[in-house]
Amino acid sequence: MITALRILGVLVLLGIIASGLLFWTSSRDVQIPPASVDFASLSPSEHDRLVERGEWVAHAADCAACHTDPSGGSDLAGGLPMVTPMGAIYGTNITPSRTYGIGEWDADDLYRAVAMGIAPGGRNLYPAMPYPSYHRITREDSDALYLWLMQQPPVDKPNRRNDLIFPFNLRPAVTFWNALFRPDPEPFVARDPQNAQGEYLVDVLGHCGECHTPRNLAYALTDDHLAGNVIEGAYAPDLRADALVRRGWNRDDLSQFLHRGLSPQGVMTFRMFPVLSHSTSHLSFDDLDAISAYLMPQQPETELLARPPAGALSAEGHALYTGLCAGCHGEDGRGQPHSSVRLDVNTTAMFDNPINLVRVIAEGIPERDLAHGERMQAMPAFGDMLSDTEMAELVTYLRKRWGGQSAEVSAAQVADALKQAH
Amino acid sequence: MAERISFSATINGQKIGPMDLPQDLMMVELLQEYLNLTGTRLSCGQGVCSACTIIIDDPDKGSYTVPACVTGVTWVNGRTVRTIEGIAGRDDQGNPVPSPIQMAFLEHFAFQCSYCTPGFVNGATALIERLQRQPIPSDQVEAAVLEALDRHICRCTGYVRYYEAVRDVILSTPGLTTDGPGTDVTAMQEAGQ
Repeated sequence: MITALRILGVLVLLGIIASGLLFWTSSRDVQIPPASVDFASLSPSEHDRLVERGEWVAHAADCAACHTDPSGGSDLAGGLPMVTPMGAIYGTNITPSRTYGIGEWDADDLYRAVAMGIAPGGRNLYPAMPYPSYHRITREDSDALYLWLMQQPPVDKPNRRNDLIFPFNLRPAVTFWNALFRPDPEPFVARDPQNAQGEYLVDVLGHCGECHTPRNLAYALTDDHLAGNVIEGAYAPDLRADALVRRGWNRDDLSQFLHRGLSPQGVMTFRMFPVLSHSTSHLSFDDLDAISAYLMPQQPETELLARPPAGALSAEGHALYTGLCAGCHGEDGRGQPHSSVRLDVNTTAMFDNPINLVRVIAEGIPERDLAHGERMQAMPAFGDMLSDTEMAELVTYLRKRWGGQSAEVSAAQVADALKQAH
Repeated sequence: MAERISFSATINGQKIGPMDLPQDLMMVELLQEYLNLTGTRLSCGQGVCSACTIIIDDPDKGSYTVPACVTGVTWVNGRTVRTIEGIAGRDDQGNPVPSPIQMAFLEHFAFQCSYCTPGFVNGATALIERLQRQPIPSDQVEAAVLEALDRHICRCTGYVRYYEAVRDVILSTPGLTTDGPGTDVTAMQEAGQ
């Protein structure tokens, strides 16, 4: 008995020492790259050039995606909830308000927050702030972003407390997460010098992997970079080149999709719609083509054609399609310009996971001003009209007819998808 | 795939069919071209303007509306439907009597050219029937009217008179609100509820 207690005591002691070491390793002051410019002696033209670059960084890094004020008025005043399995995290005020925003920060503070997830005073940010992606931001871009942020109108709006469950509400505990999963700040050096811009936009500023890369049990990104992931109740699809080719993408359509929010393969939906409005629609075609070329190193030569059905189509599914969908999307699934998307080459029916297809049909999509004059009318919600069995019939039909997916979707899968969504 | 279907339904209380119809026929065309029920108005043809709104009476869920322009006969097959021609009641002599919503629209001068009116009548009627099943507090009525009729587009009179007419019917009809008239069962029976 005493021996067992002694062993237990030693184990507890070792655990405490290990935790302490982990905490110390992670919280020690990491050397950061020095400021890229002397802010005090900037010429007006240099200042203006940096502010312009900073605006580009803010768009490319999509700061507004999380920091926008959902009640309107400011893209940076915070308050938007991000729903995670651990609870809701609210975007913070990053306007230069001295009371509630980052008005007291200097450029080093911003770099530490963006690249390392550490706010002034050593306070941990939660990794909802995508510092595991931003850790490769260049100091030049962080400094340009700093100058641009400080030029924005300050909004004196207090931050909202996060609604996280225990123990995730213990902010200092993020230090352990950082020790295990946070890469050290490492200013960008292209892994593929052929397309440095595409890599920087996709992997660093655009932080595409934060949604499109699967996460482990600790909610950290895995090594399956851009392999697709269900996040916030929707499937962020596999963006690896072979998967994109399989779903009928080519570089031109991908660039158009990021520019206007629409292409024959689909329309920006769920959390990609704000990404369009805050970020990708503001990028030049040079940037968008770099993104497309990075994601699809080989331009596929195949023509975009509807694939043959992946199995026998049920009469019930066909009747549901004709009765509820064909009026807008057409009996042949060709859709109508600016009002209803094509379904015959739409990628949503091609995903292994049917959650997005089920949700779009059940919840509908509001009418949208997409970007650069492109718009789509509303899609009605059919959730109240269809039983889970009917929804399963319809979803199976769509996936078989145009999605190349032969597997039957069951009513239980439909119920599960709808449950995951809320 | 079958190009044609055998269609049967109950429309405005009358059994229709079995009819041999193209399987991709939309309801508005069935009503206008096959059944001579021309009150349902075709406008946008994309399920957006709500001029062609018709009511489906579901035995389990109660009544709900669909746009007849983009709802195919394959969805309506075997179901019970009301169009604008089936909304008015009849008096003892069999003469048509406007429904409370139709009467309120007349009293409020709610419409001008009337092209959108059948859709408004059906949308408002379905709202009233939903409130019969699930009454709401009277301070939520304006929001409920807005939510239900927001999708109906009118190009001449504006919307205020439609909204006021529907709000007045709801607030004065027993049983539609949890705190308005309607606790008196006799009054409800007299009102034909």
